[in-house]
Amino acid sequence: MKFLIQILATIIISFILELFLPWWTIAVTSFAVAYLVDNKSLISFWAGFLGIAILWVGMALYIDQTTHSILTEKVNRLLPLNAFLLTGLIGGIVGGLSALTGSFLRSA
Amino acid sequence: MKFIKVGLSGIVSIALIYFLNTSHNFGSPIPPLGKFLDPFHGFWQNAQTANVKSESVSITGLKDKVTILYDSALIPHIYANNDEDLYAAQGYITAKNRLWQMEFQTHAAGGRISEVVGKAALDFDRTQRRLGMMFAAETSVKSMEANPIAKAMVDSYTKGVNAYIQTLYYQNLPIEYKLLGYEPEPWTNIKSGLLLKYMAKTLNSGERDLEMTNALKLFGKETIELLFPDNEGVADPIVDNSGNWKFKPVTFDSVASAAPVELISLKPFEKSPPDVGSNNWAVSGTKTKSGSPILCNDPHLELNLPSIWYVLHMNAPGINVMGASLPGSPAIISGFNDSIAWGVTNAQRDLVDWYKVEFKDKNKNEYLSDGQWKLTKKVIETIKIKGEPVYYDTVVYTHHGPVVFDHSFHAESEKNHFAYRWIAHDPSEEILTFYKLNRARNYTGYMEALDHYSSPAQNFVFACVNGDIAMRIQGKYPVRRKNEGKFILDGRKTSSDWQAFIPADQNVSYKNPSRGFVSSANQYPVDATYPYYVQASNWEAYRNRRINKLLSALTQITPTDLMNLQLDNFNLKASESLPTFLSYMDSTSLQGAELEAFKKLKSWDYKNDIESEGAPYYEAWIKAFLPMVWDEFSNSKVALPWPSTYLTIKLMKEKPDLSYFDAIATPEKETVKEIIQKSFKEAVDSIEKWKAEKKVNPTWAAYKDASVTHLLRQKAFSYNIEHGGNSSTVNAHSKTHGPSWRMVVSLEKSGINAWGVYPGGQSGNPGSPYYNNLLILWTKGQYVKLSFTSAAEKMKGKELATITLTPSSK
Repeated sequence: MKFLIQILATIIISFILELFLPWWTIAVTSFAVAYLVDNKSLISFWAGFLGIAILWVGMALYIDQTTHSILTEKVNRLLPLNAFLLTGLIGGIVGGLSALTGSFLRSA
Repeated sequence: MKFIKVGLSGIVSIALIYFLNTSHNFGSPIPPLGKFLDPFHGFWQNAQTANVKSESVSITGLKDKVTILYDSALIPHIYANNDEDLYAAQGYITAKNRLWQMEFQTHAAGGRISEVVGKAALDFDRTQRRLGMMFAAETSVKSMEANPIAKAMVDSYTKGVNAYIQTLYYQNLPIEYKLLGYEPEPWTNIKSGLLLKYMAKTLNSGERDLEMTNALKLFGKETIELLFPDNEGVADPIVDNSGNWKFKPVTFDSVASAAPVELISLKPFEKSPPDVGSNNWAVSGTKTKSGSPILCNDPHLELNLPSIWYVLHMNAPGINVMGASLPGSPAIISGFNDSIAWGVTNAQRDLVDWYKVEFKDKNKNEYLSDGQWKLTKKVIETIKIKGEPVYYDTVVYTHHGPVVFDHSFHAESEKNHFAYRWIAHDPSEEILTFYKLNRARNYTGYMEALDHYSSPAQNFVFACVNGDIAMRIQGKYPVRRKNEGKFILDGRKTSSDWQAFIPADQNVSYKNPSRGFVSSANQYPVDATYPYYVQASNWEAYRNRRINKLLSALTQITPTDLMNLQLDNFNLKASESLPTFLSYMDSTSLQGAELEAFKKLKSWDYKNDIESEGAPYYEAWIKAFLPMVWDEFSNSKVALPWPSTYLTIKLMKEKPDLSYFDAIATPEKETVKEIIQKSFKEAVDSIEKWKAEKKVNPTWAAYKDASVTHLLRQKAFSYNIEHGGNSSTVNAHSKTHGPSWRMVVSLEKSGINAWGVYPGGQSGNPGSPYYNNLLILWTKGQYVKLSFTSAAEKMKGKELATITLTPSSK
């Protein structure tokens, strides 16, 4: 349950903050949420990872759908991995590591 | 222990974020991945739909409100209340759609690409600097700023561009900045100057003085006259005014001394390919169905994305003009207003010379001129390189211009120093020409506007609603003595300098000729009675005759007829050479692929249409034939010019036993016959190889394999296209070059009707549907009907979006 709460809180707060602040606010959010929700470190990592991955891939999918993949197709030819996969992975790792740090701090 | 974990994990996280927030280069450049992939700010935000948002923006320094309506093709229709606001709005809206391109092209012009892409571009940048591009732009801006009208234009344009730049955050930066990890810098007037000089460089760099000097040394004067005549005698000059040049020309007694004739082994610059050219024509009302003149223009340039052209409709008191502009420069370059229309093709004339300079010593502080040592001026060019230390390049200037080649650049030794004399280094007032041309009401206005125009020299076609048509070959041309400018000149004697310029009113022009039309396609400009020596490295030989033949024959002309002429794929070159080629072939001895090729060529209608099967064989054949004929030139260790294809075909017909047809590598004595047969075999082999590789049938479009390429050569943002034509057909579309803007204007008294299209789109954003929507139409040979007369009223409620610019209250 706390796992889901951490994921949801990460998504919602990151979404709001990203409307105004640069991309790295996802790290601050994941960190703070992890600290407050207080999951075990590994669980916290995955919650942070999934939270940001879901947010980023979800937003990317929304843009892709509304713009009929006009840019996704092109950027896919530039990137070594599929754009959605890479977006999810990069966002996820940053979210996960930050959440891990947050949970470590909480238990320290 | 726990704190160590926190510390470690924290450090790793921060390091990762830092890593993902910066650009890297592991063999190929990598954008700051975190920033780039973030769907809230990164590249995803550049994806757009066909809907465009209306908005209101306040701009400091604007005098009054400006309304900009986008029509369905994303063409902006600007309504301003004064000139300054008009050009500010042009700057703003152009930047909004093309900012990255504007900056990249001016970086390219000024030799600043290494800053963006790294040291791979260093030689390119040094070339630009050493050719004096910055020097040219500075001179040009000085003359712009000396004229109050021109100054107000460029200042306002710059203001508009910068107002747009100020609205940018990472989120709405053009995608190229995100990819390469840099940001736009403020726009300045010098950038507009650079852009115009970039165009001048493209259009003036066909010269081959160094190559001609080598050829003179190797083959002698007689051969030069035979193979490189000043005029190849192609029938139709642009202006035929035989016997009516009633002015006293400027003449000199002196001769221009050529530098000592010697072989120069340094590698000259790559030339603008011969497919840089253009067509324009105007037909008088006597030949049209409507009784009003029709004017057409299609400049042929390298086809890139974002396109070199941006279409605008600009309104303010005293001006209502529409057409193609160059992003980065104010005003319309090829277009029409409510009274006149005009268009441009390149005049080809030789406006570049190289002078061999003798320095006193290695320090290059002094050079010899008329027996005296004159002081040089040194300019230190600072070239920033991405991820590397700054590179400093010292360029020595003489009174001729910059010494481009010396010990440090493309050097063969200390012995050869060549200074570059280029018309675009001189003060000029192009912008003022376009200011006036955009507002001209009649022939007098057109002539007056062109009096200000000096470089790059252009054939300006003109038509007016009152029925006048005209052509003027305008530029600032040095008065040339015979052979001057064909070879490298002696920089030690001021007698070989440019002594005077042809007075503007003695330039080639005419109005309302009896044949009922004017036309130009980069051919030899004038009849033999024109009293000045005219010289260029390349005169067009085919398109011009095809255009004139069709225009002469046509009556009751409609705009559609002229669109069809712009799209004409008839290959006059093939029709004049293939029958001779085939006459030397013995079809009974052919079999297999060769027989099939022969049959396809025999039944070919000489049209380079998309599906044509004969065209690839002809192209492969002539491509194999020319180097076999001119093996004396292609196998040389020093750079040499090639005789033109037109001349080669003429010699093939008239002098089949000419010694040049003998292949030097073989003991036998070949004539044209053997060379034709041998090149045929080679051509068929090459097509067979092509077929085996591509596994498709070689239709013309497949064989041509044309593309329209993004300026960064980024394949993901480029398109392969299937389109007819070739460089010598009226529809001069080759693999990489072609009609970069097709315009047809019918100047009816009841209102102008105009059509235009270019291979690109109004938006420079690869994530916009307007990035390539016009390219799709262009490829199909379709046009956009340009909404001009009462555009705002007719568009009411149907506009795509409205951008309102308001003066900032500050």
